[in-house]
Amino acid sequence: MAKALAIPGLNPGTRFGDAAAAAVDVRAREVFAHAEGVLDTSDIERVHDMRVATRRLRAAMEVFAACFSNSEHKSLLREVKALADVLGERRDPDVAIAALEGIAAELAAADRPGIEDLVDEMRRGQERGNDRLAAALEELGESRLEERLLALAQTARRPASPAASRNGSAPA
Amino acid sequence: MKPRKVKGLDPDGPLAENARRIVKVRLAELRSFAPRALESGEQETLHDMRIAAKRLRYVLEMSEPAFGAAADDGAKAAKKLQDLLGEIHDCDEMLPRVRAHAEMLRAQDAAALRDGAAGAADLEPGAAREAPNRARYRGLESLGTYLTARRAVLFESFVRRWEKLESTGFAAELLDGLNRRSDLNPPEPAPATPSDGAAA
Repeated sequence: MAKALAIPGLNPGTRFGDAAAAAVDVRAREVFAHAEGVLDTSDIERVHDMRVATRRLRAAMEVFAACFSNSEHKSLLREVKALADVLGERRDPDVAIAALEGIAAELAAADRPGIEDLVDEMRRGQERGNDRLAAALEELGESRLEERLLALAQTARRPASPAASRNGSAPA
Repeated sequence: MKPRKVKGLDPDGPLAENARRIVKVRLAELRSFAPRALESGEQETLHDMRIAAKRLRYVLEMSEPAFGAAADDGAKAAKKLQDLLGEIHDCDEMLPRVRAHAEMLRAQDAAALRDGAAGAADLEPGAAREAPNRARYRGLESLGTYLTARRAVLFESFVRRWEKLESTGFAAELLDGLNRRSDLNPPEPAPATPSDGAAA
């Protein structure tokens, strides 16, 4: 699993909004940096890295929710969750297959056919997940998600004004 | 599971103060699931506790620059808990699939035997030897047994881990650590605004 990139310039006194901008910026770039090769089912770590990066981005968006405009943040968070779900649909069978193969290897030969049958079923699920992921990756480009996330990040840097719509008590 | 709301967050305030508010709520949220999770061991509560551990971990990881080792240690403890609960969750997810798969094979076999006996008054026991999936049940039964046992072992391990965390006062220690660290690092002065200083 890829190590999370450090968020530069944070210290205890950093303005919360500036920390939000830096965290969402770094975490959003991280997601898209991992997009290459995720459809390769022979290297299951790639999709894992992108999924983990998506989780980290989602976490940053939730922790710093109070720093963003309610509607844009909500809409982008929904899109990031949808991406995480599609990555999960591909990743979950990867993990299950690896676990079942590991268990089967420890069992008697007579026990293996049933488990191999279940693995075959999961491979079909993995293929379906990969097809959905391929479609989602295509949509990513069209929806300019990365660009919109980076733009959202910058909004947290603006000085707060009384008229600004903030999630003062939003989930974090 | 929807996260509890954190009140009083201020985008213009310092990271440390805001992060401490969030950690406090996330920590309380995690602990609130423990009594039911420990007593019942039920899937849904353990799942909610895992999500709560994950949320605590993420806020601690993100606030490590503000709180240093206290946040780092707390994040590591939350991750260990999250991982353990994740393994239990994997068993809970896999077991019904194993049972459903065995059930599907049985249904296929019963249909095949019935079709093979079309028009017969009864079915001979020896017909079971011809069931197409007969070699597959055994492995699925062994797998189901293993997963059931592993789930029980992991749950006991979770109970011990949680009791150890509570008996060593991890929650109070974490909050003390965060307070100490931010005492050492008072907030920076607010950044200058255009109205500060000499006018252009």
